[in-house]
Amino acid sequence: MKRTLTVCPYCGTGCMFYLVSDGGKLVGVEPSVTHPVSRGGLCVKGWNAFAFVHHPERLTTPLVRRDGVLQPASWDEALDLVVTGLQAVQEKHGSDAVMFASSAKATNEENYLLMKLARAVFGTNNIDHCARLCHSSTVTGLAETFGSGAMTNSISCIDETDVILVIGSNTTEQHPLIGSRILNAVQNGTGLIVADNRRIRLARHAALHLRHKNGSDVALLNGIMHVIIAEGLVDEEFVATRTENYAAQAAAVAEWTPEKAAAATGLEAGEIVAAARLFAGAKRAMILYSMGITQHSHGVDNVRCVAALAMLTGNVGRPGTGVNPLRGQNNVQGGCDMGALPDLYSGYQKVADPLVRDRFARAWGVPSLPAAPGLPLTRAMNAASEGRLQALFVMGENPMLSDPDQGHARKVLEGLELLVVQDIFLTETAALADIVLPAACYAEKEGTFTNTERRVQRARKAVESPGTARADWEIICDIALRAGYRGMCYHDPREVMDEIASLTPLYGGIAYDRLDPHGLQWPCPDRNHPGTPLLHLEHFTRGLGHFSPARYRLPAELPDDRYPFVLTTGRTYFHWHTGSMTRRSHLLDREEPRSFIEIHPDDAARLGVRDHDRLQVASRRGELQTEARVTTMVVPGVLFMPFHFAEGAANALTNNALDPESSIPEFKVCAVRVERVP
Amino acid sequence: MKILHPAQLNNFIERLAKAWEVRLPVLLPDGTRVIGSPGDGPPALHGGAVMGKPTSAFFPHHGTLFTSDGGKLEGPQNPDLPLFVLGFTPRDLACLRFIDRFFADGLCDDVYFRRRNNALVAGLSGLCGAGGIMIPPAGGGCDLEFFCDGSCWLVIPYSDGGREVSAGLSDPALPTSVELFRQAALSQPDEQEELLRRASELLRADRVPDHFWAEIGDRCIACTGCNLACPTCTCFGVQDWRSAQKTERSRMWDSCQLDGFMREASGHNPLGSEALRSRRRIHHKLAADPEKWGEISCFLCGRCDAVCPTGIGMVAVAREMVARFG
Repeated sequence: MKRTLTVCPYCGTGCMFYLVSDGGKLVGVEPSVTHPVSRGGLCVKGWNAFAFVHHPERLTTPLVRRDGVLQPASWDEALDLVVTGLQAVQEKHGSDAVMFASSAKATNEENYLLMKLARAVFGTNNIDHCARLCHSSTVTGLAETFGSGAMTNSISCIDETDVILVIGSNTTEQHPLIGSRILNAVQNGTGLIVADNRRIRLARHAALHLRHKNGSDVALLNGIMHVIIAEGLVDEEFVATRTENYAAQAAAVAEWTPEKAAAATGLEAGEIVAAARLFAGAKRAMILYSMGITQHSHGVDNVRCVAALAMLTGNVGRPGTGVNPLRGQNNVQGGCDMGALPDLYSGYQKVADPLVRDRFARAWGVPSLPAAPGLPLTRAMNAASEGRLQALFVMGENPMLSDPDQGHARKVLEGLELLVVQDIFLTETAALADIVLPAACYAEKEGTFTNTERRVQRARKAVESPGTARADWEIICDIALRAGYRGMCYHDPREVMDEIASLTPLYGGIAYDRLDPHGLQWPCPDRNHPGTPLLHLEHFTRGLGHFSPARYRLPAELPDDRYPFVLTTGRTYFHWHTGSMTRRSHLLDREEPRSFIEIHPDDAARLGVRDHDRLQVASRRGELQTEARVTTMVVPGVLFMPFHFAEGAANALTNNALDPESSIPEFKVCAVRVERVP
Repeated sequence: MKILHPAQLNNFIERLAKAWEVRLPVLLPDGTRVIGSPGDGPPALHGGAVMGKPTSAFFPHHGTLFTSDGGKLEGPQNPDLPLFVLGFTPRDLACLRFIDRFFADGLCDDVYFRRRNNALVAGLSGLCGAGGIMIPPAGGGCDLEFFCDGSCWLVIPYSDGGREVSAGLSDPALPTSVELFRQAALSQPDEQEELLRRASELLRADRVPDHFWAEIGDRCIACTGCNLACPTCTCFGVQDWRSAQKTERSRMWDSCQLDGFMREASGHNPLGSEALRSRRRIHHKLAADPEKWGEISCFLCGRCDAVCPTGIGMVAVAREMVARFG
């Protein structure tokens, strides 16, 4: 019997627990009683985080496609084919004809190494990861307004605040140990405003539940800010001393009277006024948001409005306040921090900056590094369909289910000259690959993950990986060596972190010997620094907080006569993203075994639909069949569907309409029609 | 009765480990106390009940039931050595007694008793509770009991096995008994036991309205921690993992707070709301088990209250119920 302290592999909350193993097999999970976030509790996914690890479908050997069929191969053969394949594509089509998709499920060290492999070894900035699909709007929007695209405060601030605005986050389902903290705060008297048109659990506890139209967040937030200014509720001193460009913000929201905002959002004017008064009247108010804000063709504008609301009311830089984007994956914060992004090195250092490039080139021992930013993941599919991208190396992602417009994604992936997938199961994407590399899962390797409150924590190896599967970092380093690069030889991830710290001021003081037991929060610039629970204390990272007013734009696709419903997509409590882990965890899959779509009882009655009926759902991009869940969770005219299920894949329907600045797709709004399958 | 000085504890454990698979409260690197193997961390007998349920030594979170390899069936391996599990508080021992009876009832649960039979169970009591408070001695219900008198452990054997493993320890200088502590505790009213008794009466008299359970259900995030931490929760789910040649059937702790736990093949669920499931969790322990077994099956170990992220463990719910409807 052995216990290994590690980080939960699911959401960005970053709970830590002990994996319990016996005879080399995992037999359970025990929470860490002392952990500052999970505090002895876990959610249902955490309690079941051991359950998929020894699943018989784990990949155990490399696979190479021969005669159209994936067949077992040796590591030597598979890795040589990867290297020669990538090099051949580059010789034929140029360096930027290859792209690397990194993973928010991989460790910081692995994200850093794949970024280094792309840039130093293959000479391309075409590196990105699934943050593109979740919080790229945050990275852009908060960097512009605050200077740092991360959660400003700590999770514990929920205990200290007077009012919480949760907008576009189903927190008890997607960040359960944060959601439960909100429930506790409400029990203790904290006011709660929920802005989300689904009747999520938090809404049952809210003083105000604003069920605004999908995609009308800018109108709602501008309306709230209008009331705050009109009623003299602005924190004048904060605005005067800590911010700039207030006049432009005030001018932009002047037209957003409660009546106008009500018309745009479908709310009552009084609801908008009440929300403004409750939020601005609090001594300490904090905003938590997630994909409901970011996954829009105007996601960056949404983030700008959220930041403006916090600045307008002086709710930044103090305990119990802040703008708090809840990061989805357990290491999506780290994936961004490590520079698995097409325009940034680790620590958000710009590839376009020649001094930064030079520093990385010298450290990595290469004559030069590419200067032009690479492709965002969401633009890669179009680049491939236009022939500009010919090879894709995917580490631990499953774009066949997670990308919008699945039909297009499939066509593009099938048309690539070379598709390499490194993963723990034969995912829907891996099944299309030319070469599949079997990876160790979180329980089988060492490394660090960074949670949503910027806490860098140690993940530890509890059991051996199956067959010949190897840790992602080992595979990446082996590829580098076979490509002739000798600057990626490490004994262990600890050495990689030392290199990261030497090149990344935000992580300058991060070292394995400092991370026990529960990590450090960045910025942590040197070895004596205690970490930073709160950002923007005396001044914003960029100096003054910058008001960036946003003009209201409608979603890219709205319902019409042919497609009369709004479809919004997301996740369920029991599954994780494309289901490769949770659908192989018995109890979790038992809870949600099938694809479903939520439909309001009024719509169901009109269409003659009963609970559990089979429905045909179609958009301009594709169609599918799924099961009706008749519920008042959704409002009339809106359907909700999770994207976990290969059979009934929501992303067959979604729209690859991108935010022009962050390139995030509009997963939250598209138009569909629905009918009962006879 | 024998005496064990704290300095002798490690040697005692080492000696035991030659003939037993030893489990005892240990301190893990982040300060969490669990009942673990000696190698997991230094012994941590002080601090009261540990977080993980001690009954998991016999009924683990996940365990194989059998494998079928080319048509040949094999049950789970018997432990190489019998288990010696130290760390049961008197309340934990009551839980163990309860589930021993449950697993032995009717079709005896062979997988449970492969580990439970021949195991030695050691209780923990005395001045070793959280913050040094007194845990009254159990006075039985285990093979031996470790009672902290403030400086040493008094080791009191109750079975032949208990006498055997403690035989090498020295005798106390003076005749000593912990019975007085037990009697003193028994004579004191226990506020929490009284609370549960009153909550049980309310439930059995059907005096708790549906809206109460709707409120509790609204606060339940279905983490399942209450069930997974509870030493008297014995429900499990079963899964089959099939590969080309082999099928492995295993079981894992399940939870009545999950929708799938009671869902019928038709899709209908007689416990299809959080309100009904929350009611069931409390009702089972406080109303159904007294009917079936003649006693409330919550022994106030406190684990569900400690593990619940939203404060709706057994004692919290009972307290609210009694305050509002009692």
